[in-house]
Amino acid sequence: MRTGDYKQTYGELVALVDSPPVWLWSVVLVLALIGAPYALNAYALSFVTIILITVVGALGLNILTGYTGLISLGHVGFLVTGAYAYAILVSKYQMHPLVGFLGAGVVPALASLIVGAPSLRLKGLYLAITTLAFSFIINTVILEARTLTNGARGIAVQRPELFGISFDSDVAFTWLCLGFAIATLFATLNIRRSRVGRAFVAIRDNDTAARVMGINLHAYKLLAFVTSAFITGISGALYGIYLSFVSVEGFPFLLSIEALAILIVGGLGSALGAVLGTVLIVLLPEATRLVFSLFSAQMDALFSTGAQELKSMLYGLAIILFLRFQPRGLVGVWHDLRRTWVHWPLRY
Amino acid sequence: MQYFTQLVISGLAIGAIYGLIAMGFAVIYKSTGLVNFAQGEMTMIVAYIAWTISTTVSGNLLVVTIAAIIAAVVLGLVVERLVMRPMLGEPLFATVMVTIGLAVILRSSINFIWDAYPHGLDVGFGRDIVRVGTIGVRTGQIAVIATLLVLLAAIWAFFRYSKFGVAMRAVAADDRTALLMGISAPRVHAAAWAASSVIAGIAGVFFAISYDLSPAMFQLGLKAFPATILGGLDAVLGSGVGGLLIGITENLAGGYFGSGMKEVAGFLMIIVVLMIRPFGIFGDRDIERV
Repeated sequence: MRTGDYKQTYGELVALVDSPPVWLWSVVLVLALIGAPYALNAYALSFVTIILITVVGALGLNILTGYTGLISLGHVGFLVTGAYAYAILVSKYQMHPLVGFLGAGVVPALASLIVGAPSLRLKGLYLAITTLAFSFIINTVILEARTLTNGARGIAVQRPELFGISFDSDVAFTWLCLGFAIATLFATLNIRRSRVGRAFVAIRDNDTAARVMGINLHAYKLLAFVTSAFITGISGALYGIYLSFVSVEGFPFLLSIEALAILIVGGLGSALGAVLGTVLIVLLPEATRLVFSLFSAQMDALFSTGAQELKSMLYGLAIILFLRFQPRGLVGVWHDLRRTWVHWPLRY
Repeated sequence: MQYFTQLVISGLAIGAIYGLIAMGFAVIYKSTGLVNFAQGEMTMIVAYIAWTISTTVSGNLLVVTIAAIIAAVVLGLVVERLVMRPMLGEPLFATVMVTIGLAVILRSSINFIWDAYPHGLDVGFGRDIVRVGTIGVRTGQIAVIATLLVLLAAIWAFFRYSKFGVAMRAVAADDRTALLMGISAPRVHAAAWAASSVIAGIAGVFFAISYDLSPAMFQLGLKAFPATILGGLDAVLGSGVGGLLIGITENLAGGYFGSGMKEVAGFLMIIVVLMIRPFGIFGDRDIERV
């Protein structure tokens, strides 16, 4: 019987996973996701794609808000910058899509240096308000810079072709998103267990103490902003490609709230939480619709007319209820379940 | 010069609305230490309730005003009791996120309870144009500026002289000591939410009288952020004055640099103010810097 987690070396403490079965199940999940496009119809597949794209963005926000503890209300600003960077480079200047993806990361990262600068002086609420202001300013900048961005008309984006493989079909595009999601997951997990990640968490837990321990707050806070914006920007580019059209209206402010809702529902500061939260939040409106449509057709009609409002209402409810009753999020539920499963019939 | 004066006067009128909402922010921040991100949405709800009363019960100005104030008090108390009080003692991040959750719920409830079309609130007052020299001003705009000034004086007196006002300041300064002195913090919080809701609701009703009601009205709350940051989050009077300044700035920016600039002038101002003087012009609480 397993009686506890005994970690005797430093290597065990920072290992990627603490038990071999996790590897097995992860591989099974990845294989299932690779096979999923063949088994699912187009409607269900669109949810898989959206989840994979959203996971990338949620993991990006998780580095900033979850690990480093800096609240951002303006993450949609990085999403939209990334999407536009990709669209301008690839659709307007016919660059290689890989250059486009690189630009989709680098441009928001540069923008984040500007937003991040006030964070060196501000904490908590004030930083949240600064990032909120940024997301509105960036929209106006995009609308005004007509020569580069076509203003309110937006830019059409083609599905890319990489390494001789065309990602034009929905199936292939899902695989592309899966690739990005897995790469991002490994990147954030590795950041978390490295020196940099520990510095982020130290800043979150107590910044004065972190500074006393020799962590350069300015450098690490900016690094958190840059990393987070880079990843979020790539997620924005993927979303732009998925919509096949990049415009300011395609990235409403609600996406910032959705990202925070994902982190809260999943459990702040955990990569697993970001993944679980994404699955729940993306499927929540659809699941609610299904449940209600069982009762009456009238409800179904209401859901199709007020889809956007319903979505934001559900996000709001999810945020409030999770913070009130399960502040540790889904990852907390999962840990409780796992402990009960391992120790049953003992309490602990 | 005529153009400039016109811009300043209409800026003062919209600025007075921002100022009222910003005072709502500051009243809550002063007594509970958190920013209520649902302020704009509460403004909008109160204005919609006032509109419903004006169309169904009576369009009399007095009836609508009293009903709107009662509705605002009830809304503030309900929100405080149901949503905010259970979060007492939780970390700042959690409580602020709860107000954001509340904001999106209230915002989307408009479309379910009322509808998505713009409406005018007609109380037989506010849309007539008065000539001051060569400049035309709506009576509603004059009334809102006057209301802001009266409320500024009233709130100053309330915090300075009334027993409850002093209790609120005590809770804001140090809630534990205040508790030891026999002040009930939950009651102070409830009063702050009700007061903030009433002040913001008045702004909403005036906005609906001078302009139009629409589900996009919650953006007034976002526009009032710069005002309260400029004036100081903990300065109720400063926020009111900040609103006037932001209203003028925004209008001048829009008048001389185009409508895009008008949208972001306030937000640019937030970033500048936070970089130079994070506690605002009239705020006195220093922000902890690391």
